[in-house]
Amino acid sequence: MSVLEYMANGLVFSSIIVLASIGLSLVYSIADFANFAHGDTMTVGAYSALVTFGFVGGLGARFLGLPLGFFVALAVGVAVAALVAVITEKVIYEPLEVDSIGMLITSIGVAFVYRALIQFRFGSDFVEFGIQVLRPIDALIPFGIRVTLHDVAIVASAAVLVAGLHTLLQYTDLGRKMRATADNPSLARVSGIRVDRITLWTWVIGAGLAGAGGVFLGLYNQISPRMGFNILLVVFAAVILGGIGSVYGAMLGGFLIGMINQLTPILTDIGIPIGIEYANAIAFVIMVAVLLVRPNGIAGGQGAGT
Amino acid sequence: MERYSVAFVLALLLAIGVGLVTGGLGPTYALYLIGLVGMYMLLSLGLNVQWGYTGLINFSVAAFFGLGAYGTAILTADNSPIAGGLSPVLGLFVGLLLAAVLAVIIGIPTLRLRADYLAIASLGLAEVVRLIVLNEREYTNGSAGLRGIPGFFEGWPVLSTFPQAMPGLRIEVIPGSPIVLQQPFYQAVLNVGLVFVFVAVTFLLLRRVHRSPWGRVLRTIRGDEDLAEALGKNTYGFKMQSFVLGSVIMALAGVFYAHLNLFVSPGDFEPINTFYVWIAVILGGSGSNRGAMFGGFVVIAIREGTRFLNGIDFVVLDIGPLRLLAVGLLIILVMRFRPEGVLPPQRELIWPSALDDADVPGPGETQRPHAADGGDGS
Repeated sequence: MSVLEYMANGLVFSSIIVLASIGLSLVYSIADFANFAHGDTMTVGAYSALVTFGFVGGLGARFLGLPLGFFVALAVGVAVAALVAVITEKVIYEPLEVDSIGMLITSIGVAFVYRALIQFRFGSDFVEFGIQVLRPIDALIPFGIRVTLHDVAIVASAAVLVAGLHTLLQYTDLGRKMRATADNPSLARVSGIRVDRITLWTWVIGAGLAGAGGVFLGLYNQISPRMGFNILLVVFAAVILGGIGSVYGAMLGGFLIGMINQLTPILTDIGIPIGIEYANAIAFVIMVAVLLVRPNGIAGGQGAGT
Repeated sequence: MERYSVAFVLALLLAIGVGLVTGGLGPTYALYLIGLVGMYMLLSLGLNVQWGYTGLINFSVAAFFGLGAYGTAILTADNSPIAGGLSPVLGLFVGLLLAAVLAVIIGIPTLRLRADYLAIASLGLAEVVRLIVLNEREYTNGSAGLRGIPGFFEGWPVLSTFPQAMPGLRIEVIPGSPIVLQQPFYQAVLNVGLVFVFVAVTFLLLRRVHRSPWGRVLRTIRGDEDLAEALGKNTYGFKMQSFVLGSVIMALAGVFYAHLNLFVSPGDFEPINTFYVWIAVILGGSGSNRGAMFGGFVVIAIREGTRFLNGIDFVVLDIGPLRLLAVGLLIILVMRFRPEGVLPPQRELIWPSALDDADVPGPGETQRPHAADGGDGS
């Protein structure tokens, strides 16, 4: 395969990682703990979309090689992931009286509960959306790039969501309050911001984006109960690389980690015997290296500047 | 809480006892379960050194456990691609050495970090170890795993032939359901004896070091790291020592497991194994050795109890998700309602000579003569 094709794949995979990292980073900065249930929130989104797609699959015309029903399913996946996260926050996280480490450990329990419930209902096998697999786009094949319209749809949808989030953060009242709360919760509180409400919105946005990431991951690969947990550490790597707590850092980190992940085969091509099976391992090693030399990540700052 | 925990353990032992006399539970399997409890005690004691004493969040328990198991298996297993047929005692040392080396490798970059970074990084590095074991077939045999591992006492005088030498016994407590004791039973007796020795040695060692000046520094680090720094302690060095010690104990559990199960596979490195041990420690009470032991019983109740549920006809759930649900709910419930664990450390945190002068009750405990719980309370 050509380098260009690896990079095209990298762009698609990056889009998924970016969606997941933003949510993880938002929750890390505002709720102030490493949420290990974030990956399984993605899984929740993917399965909700799968079920919805079973009902509305044939709906309407096709757009970017996908039936319109898929976008309905995507919306439901986003909504269910957000709803589940809000319920979890209200029922489990909010009443807790533990420090951020206790929250972290609790979120592992939450992750297991999500995954167990999904496995009860759907089994542990791989499933697919059952959307017809497309041929690569003819116009790009001469350049050595084999991508399908579905891949384009993933990148385009992620771009729309990221742009939407940027608009929200920079130009709306809610966005400004979220940035203020992420920067300094106590200062935000004394300034009259209702921090509880902001926290809830953070869960909605973060988990919603994770749900979208899960749906796209299911379209890109397959759907299984472990899909989210398997990708969680890659997402953490992206968030840490970008700088925990920084949304734009998470975007940059997600882009880089996704690219590096898909460019791994080049190592074999140039004679370094590290195969594609170590793609995730490379991400983890990068993560540790970043922690070692620049714990605040590329975007720097102490939990700052969303 | 104390009473409930004791009652729980007694009820579990009673269930095993009832299963034994009624023939519902083979005596060999019962001993296997007890061996596993011992193994989880070892693992929890190891994690307790890191998390309970020092406050290090190590999410790579499975990696150290797996390295212990693979270290001895690679030297002793029939289908080992490297060695094979060597003495399990040699395997023991190699397993522990591998774990110590990995602990230093993981510790160097991560022990200076904030606590939650250590959690993420150690989980990531544990996955790297799992991927290496899974993919480097010429050294580890890959996903096929290593089989044909001998029992630990292979080649020892007397003990290696002990199971064959013992006579078969037939006991009939309840008429019609006899208990037959044969070679596998005596093999299991040896295994339980082995894990008992491992646990006892570890326990005594830990109690000693925990009360030593070294252990007091660890507790200070957990309570207030800046204070320990201000007192002139090299906290990084102490954390590293604690991390290596705990990891070696986890590897010891892995060595025992390899010679108990006689088969190891990359599945032993799965993160879920790490979280079983975490359940044991946080449920028992971080820092508490009694808690670690209690946790060992609970984990076996979850792991093996779900197996029994599946045998009942009207339960149609899969055991995999059932275990996962039990582990998840237990984590949430403990953190919600009793974050300090059911048997939090009490006297263990008190300098022993102070106990001679005054009996200091722990939180949530009523005053009682300290002779009542054996004096040391640990």
